[in-house]
Amino acid sequence: MGVKGSRELILQRIRDGLRVAVAAPPRTESGPIFEHVVNPLERFQIECKANLIALTLSHDANESRAQLKAELDSLAEGEIHVQDSPVLRSMIEAIQINRPVKWSSQGAPAEASQATVSLAEALVAQTGSIFVSAACGGRGISVVAPCHIVFATVGQLVPDLETALRNATAQGMVRKNSFACMISGSSRTADIEKILVQGAHGPRRLAVILQQS
Amino acid sequence: MSNSGQGRATPTAENVRAHDDGKSAQAQKRPERSAAQQFFHDAAIKSADLVHREIIRKNMDSYFVAHDRGRSRFADWEAARQRCHEIKREAVNNLDKYLLQFEQNVIANGGKVFWAATSEEACQYVTELAVRHKVKTVVKSKSMVTEEIHLGLALEKVGCDVWETDLGEYIVQLRNEGPYHIVTPAMHLNRQQIAELFRDKFSEPNLTEEPEELVAAARRKLRKAFFAAEMGISGANFLIADSGVIAISTNEGNGRLTTSLPKIHVAVTGIEKILPRLEDLATFWPVLATSGTGQPITTYGTLIGGPKREGEVDGPDEFHVVLVDNGRSNLLAHKEEREVLHCIRCGACLNICPVYRHVGGHTYGTPYPGPIGSVLVPRLEGKEFEHLSYASSLCGACTSVCPVKIDLHHHLLHNRRDFTEKGSASARERLQFRLWRMAMQSPRIFALGGWLTRRALKMIYGFGLTGTIADPMRAWNKGRERVPLPQKSFREQWKKELKNGR
Repeated sequence: MGVKGSRELILQRIRDGLRVAVAAPPRTESGPIFEHVVNPLERFQIECKANLIALTLSHDANESRAQLKAELDSLAEGEIHVQDSPVLRSMIEAIQINRPVKWSSQGAPAEASQATVSLAEALVAQTGSIFVSAACGGRGISVVAPCHIVFATVGQLVPDLETALRNATAQGMVRKNSFACMISGSSRTADIEKILVQGAHGPRRLAVILQQS
Repeated sequence: MSNSGQGRATPTAENVRAHDDGKSAQAQKRPERSAAQQFFHDAAIKSADLVHREIIRKNMDSYFVAHDRGRSRFADWEAARQRCHEIKREAVNNLDKYLLQFEQNVIANGGKVFWAATSEEACQYVTELAVRHKVKTVVKSKSMVTEEIHLGLALEKVGCDVWETDLGEYIVQLRNEGPYHIVTPAMHLNRQQIAELFRDKFSEPNLTEEPEELVAAARRKLRKAFFAAEMGISGANFLIADSGVIAISTNEGNGRLTTSLPKIHVAVTGIEKILPRLEDLATFWPVLATSGTGQPITTYGTLIGGPKREGEVDGPDEFHVVLVDNGRSNLLAHKEEREVLHCIRCGACLNICPVYRHVGGHTYGTPYPGPIGSVLVPRLEGKEFEHLSYASSLCGACTSVCPVKIDLHHHLLHNRRDFTEKGSASARERLQFRLWRMAMQSPRIFALGGWLTRRALKMIYGFGLTGTIADPMRAWNKGRERVPLPQKSFREQWKKELKNGR
């Protein structure tokens, strides 16, 4: 059987195999799998802490800018890479930073970037996750630099994974983008004696600035 | 690249030699020892290796603590297992429909789908793609299917440098070994051994044993490969039919870089990885993470639905999905074992298996070790691996932890039954069972047999032949305190007690 025919061959084998009747066991009714998330913000804070995400809450735009500045000032020398969006442009322009800034509209982040700054599609309280897509500055922006800073607002917070994924389908987020990622902490490995080490291939630090208005 | 692991695809010494000699694929299949003999040989060595035992015990202890804590985060873990079982049942029982839906969506998003009936077809597709694009460097994120089809080896043959980028995979690649475990490939090594390996291979004699320093050293090496590579190869944990995306779970971020930086991304995966809907991940992501490592969710749950789109910042120009059958579709016709295709490769059954923990992952001689491997591999690879279905005490621990509720230990029995019915049992075994059946059907013969065995053993023990070839209890006695001889048979004792009126 040539390679060209493999698709049909496999489908035929599948259909032949499935002709063998297998009795389905009776469906069992059970309660909820996960605890209902009562207070999303509180839960998000708890889960971020468990995931080693540096979460700071801010009350308004001024405070967010100050937090972003503090975060950037703590970095070693070198350029930063920022998602080219009006919100982030105005934030970066308002704070004074003495380092080169590259925008996502200028291309993919350089390997030497000290930090990347991006937005998120949604935040998930249940698992302390940041849901990003290619629209949040591309694929590399959330993984290439040693520090990834995310700016989000509390309105983006959803209670659980199911809501986040259902919205992603309903709003066409997954269709419109070639990439999406549920990020739940800094890059890590436990491949050596099950000891947790942060910063395996991606960021050692994941910081979230969550604005409450 | 000199360190790129010839022979890593199959870890037995014979196969390493076969590859090093550059023999054909057939040569690997005819080692000096049969796969079963090799299993016994390696199992005997490993189970007596106290360093190995200690390393595995430590690893498993921390896994079980995390696994318990992970399960307690669910309101109802059993309900989660049931849900996963039902979703997978729906997916597998409509496999053709969902695969076609997935394919249609991938193509609509600009990707390509290739259906490979065999390992050879899958390897050929990927190597031709590499040759056509003049690929020099390939980065791989962890994929058990690529181990199954020996893709790394095939790419090296056409002149590619192949880099495993998952830390554990990279470590075993540097050692010219296959992965020890499907989730933590370098579980069998301690930090001293890994430090030694890195000092040697990286020419960094001052490297300490601190895990953080070792991870940083590997990161430096692999970064260069990531930014040089023209092709990235990943697996897929799930294929989502309704959205045409693949889902990859990684903690390190190597899967992210593999699918972001090179110009070509190839995802090689089994046809059974399908899930009907994107929302299904809301159950499968936490369940896979909990069963795999005890985490509430894996750090990066990446969804890839095609090459870089118009207006996107970065990403590959080409996206290929290779759907590998390689014997999987045969399982669909097996009414008991169809559910083996539900497996999400979490490794929970390996961790809890007393046989796996004693003989170690490499002893199985296959990319899928442990209970799931012992069920699956004989079905995929055939007669040579039938012995694996006997590498179990049938204690059922695997079944009790499986997050998709595969009835693993019963499938081991089903395999044994099928292989015996097919005539795989040796003439000696058939004779033994015929005698056993006669004895079980006749109390006199049973009593006679017992009497003879006791007498014979007494003589053998008396002549000091314990554990030798003359000893019918050899398998047990040669490595352990000998089986004690009862003075009287159970029947004699029973009769005596009856007489005493008790």
